Amino acid sequence: MQSLTFSNMSKAFGGVSALADVTLNLSGGRVHALMGENGAGKSTLIKLIAGVLKADSMSVEKNGQPLSVNDARDAHEAGFRFIHQELNIIPQVSVAENVLLGRDLPRKLGLAVDWKKVKTLAEDALAFLGATHIDVTVPAGDLPAGDKMMMKIAAALVSGEQSKPVLYVLDEPTAALTGEESEKLFDVIERLKTKGASILYVSHRIDEVLRICDDVTVLRDGEFVASNEIPKTSKADIIQAMTGRNFKNAYPKRETQVGEDITVSLKNVSTSNLQDVCFDIRAGEILGISGLAEAGQSDLLKLFMGIGKIKTGSASYMNEALPGSPSEAWARGIAYIPRERRSEALCLDMSVKSNIVLPHLSEYGFYAKPRLESEDALEFGDKVKLKSNGVLQPVGQLSGGNQQKIVFARGLKGDPRLLLLDEPTRGVDIGAKYDIYLLVRELSAKGCSVILTSTDLPEVLGMCDRILVMQHGRQAYLLESAQMTSADLLSYFFTDNEAAV
Amino acid sequence: MLQKLRQSGTLLGFFLILLFFALKLPDTFLTARNLINISQQLSMLAVVAATMTIVMVMNDFDLSVGSMASLSGIVAAMLFTAGSPVWVGLSVALLVGVFGGLFNGFLVSVVGILPFVATLGTLTVFSGLAFLLSDGKTIFGRDIPSSFSGFARAGIEIGDVKVPMLTITAGLVIFICWAILEHTNFGRRLYAIGGNKEASYLAGIKVVRLRLIAFSLTGLGAAGAGLMYAARVASANPTQGSGLMLDAIAAVFLGMTMSRRGEPKVVYTLVGVLILGVLDNGMTQLRVDSYVREIFVGLIVLAAVAVASLSKRRNAK
Repeated sequence: MQSLTFSNMSKAFGGVSALADVTLNLSGGRVHALMGENGAGKSTLIKLIAGVLKADSMSVEKNGQPLSVNDARDAHEAGFRFIHQELNIIPQVSVAENVLLGRDLPRKLGLAVDWKKVKTLAEDALAFLGATHIDVTVPAGDLPAGDKMMMKIAAALVSGEQSKPVLYVLDEPTAALTGEESEKLFDVIERLKTKGASILYVSHRIDEVLRICDDVTVLRDGEFVASNEIPKTSKADIIQAMTGRNFKNAYPKRETQVGEDITVSLKNVSTSNLQDVCFDIRAGEILGISGLAEAGQSDLLKLFMGIGKIKTGSASYMNEALPGSPSEAWARGIAYIPRERRSEALCLDMSVKSNIVLPHLSEYGFYAKPRLESEDALEFGDKVKLKSNGVLQPVGQLSGGNQQKIVFARGLKGDPRLLLLDEPTRGVDIGAKYDIYLLVRELSAKGCSVILTSTDLPEVLGMCDRILVMQHGRQAYLLESAQMTSADLLSYFFTDNEAAV
Repeated sequence: MLQKLRQSGTLLGFFLILLFFALKLPDTFLTARNLINISQQLSMLAVVAATMTIVMVMNDFDLSVGSMASLSGIVAAMLFTAGSPVWVGLSVALLVGVFGGLFNGFLVSVVGILPFVATLGTLTVFSGLAFLLSDGKTIFGRDIPSSFSGFARAGIEIGDVKVPMLTITAGLVIFICWAILEHTNFGRRLYAIGGNKEASYLAGIKVVRLRLIAFSLTGLGAAGAGLMYAARVASANPTQGSGLMLDAIAAVFLGMTMSRRGEPKVVYTLVGVLILGVLDNGMTQLRVDSYVREIFVGLIVLAAVAVASLSKRRNAK
């Protein structure tokens, strides 16, 4: 059985230690979870293994033999494969070419590309993963998120011809996947295990880790905290190790009553992507929107931002027509936390301050008022417990959790009447998640209505008063969330509701 | 380290260039008269580059400024020839600039054509219009009223130095652009659009409208520069603005190497303009072939952009 040891891993940035003397023991054919809150040093650790960052110190041993990993090429030759959180794919190019990316395509007579062979190579790799349903000739950008992940794993497999893969590093692989897609991924991981390689699995999702991993190592503040076999540990132990705090209820309870006034009312609304959506939301109510990936959740949220045209039916917000554009929506007290933090919410090169006040610039009048903006940014940064080096730090330098807090601070500032949350805790660590949930509860207590979409079912159940289940853009169920379990909710995703048609 | 070098390197280079010419041309270069002369030579470029900065802040750019400058000069001169009062000629020429810019903005933000392609198209259109209107000829002589061309010769006496009106105009335009971009919320929004268009839109920024306005300001600047040029040479011809576009973009790029995160800023654009202008003046005095000067400017811009993208790549790691 193969063994792989990374020991004495250290890295400091400008005198600040990001990783201090961490050791990781990986055995072949086992899935090893790497856990820790954002900023715990997971990303740094992965970058050291990948040779992307130069370690201050690190020694690598494979089966007792020392290996040198100084740069990305060394890491690749050593057989380390990385499947990242943010997938690097070339969307316009076919799946087959994406799978074979980074290696020479097979050729006929050393000249023309042998497309037939390209296709079979890619298909074989996907077939090994059990993903035979993927058509390798379509552009990679057209695949659903789960299939993109399969494609990247297949690519990691194929690129192993020159050097056999000994380690797969999966960085938050399920962050963008639905429950069903995640299940497929777990099957794939089982198959990878049989090949004898080690798998390092980085995730925030404890339930997932408990289910599919064999070992776990926990980091906190750049230091090693604990390492154990999964059967010998528990959810509470892991959370305790990650946060240094005791396990508390993951979701704050509702403490106030839902109000009487109706904030939002949709009556049989259909758009090009939505059909027959029908619900009211009261002041302070939290409505969850759930369903399989891309069943229309984001489209429904965007409708309130004035994106998308209502074809039939009627919709109102505060007893008036829905806003016609994002700028009108913000002006009328609708705050929006988009799904893709980096591409849809933040200007990464710009400061914390600029990002927080962005939708509210008109409040400052014609001339910019930097001092007032800084005060506001500080105030709202504090409210969301933001950790940054002042309000002038570019947000691109912050962790995912802190970036998301900035987007929340932006939403809070307008004192919203309706808060739209699209996957609000994706890629956010447990501590920051809890802070975010508290903020949502606080707003709801003040009478702000909330619409929340999430693929994290416990989150939907833990936070929402009612849950709207969507299937293919159609409203399938509107359920009370009390007493429901994740399994109950999941079953509604797959059961057609004849009555609703 | 590289970041520091990049930020201060351009300024250092500028001083080295100044020093070089000061030593090579001890009698003529660092004289009040020559410096005033440079400032006047530079004034058109400064106006175009400062207004170009407004669109480049949004990651857009405008290739049509040079032919717009030609067109506005021709339009004004045609109106003068037809006997219009000076203020009518000026206003119409500036309006042509605004509408030309709006058209660019429309193509880019409403139709959704890439700025490069859209403004390459309008570059040709504006240039063609200038030729069509003028019949390809230079308009000069008695057709150009002296109150128009006199502006370029006028100046304000400060001590024993006469600061030309063109220099003052350029200074005003730069100041206004600086105030707009750095001190109004309009400017802040433009920077946000440059940072992330989609995020800005979803955060309620009226991206389409702002891009229209920004492009029309750039068009207005180009038209203004064309008028300044026409006043200075007391004539208008359909190719007079053709050199402005490349120099203006080069100046903004040079300036971008000096800012912290590589974003364009008016003050740094001004440094870029000065670098190009000083080089131009010094090399002319040294009787360096103007073709050699072009090669030189091209290489400087490439070096500046190369350093900028190298340090960006470092930062990304």
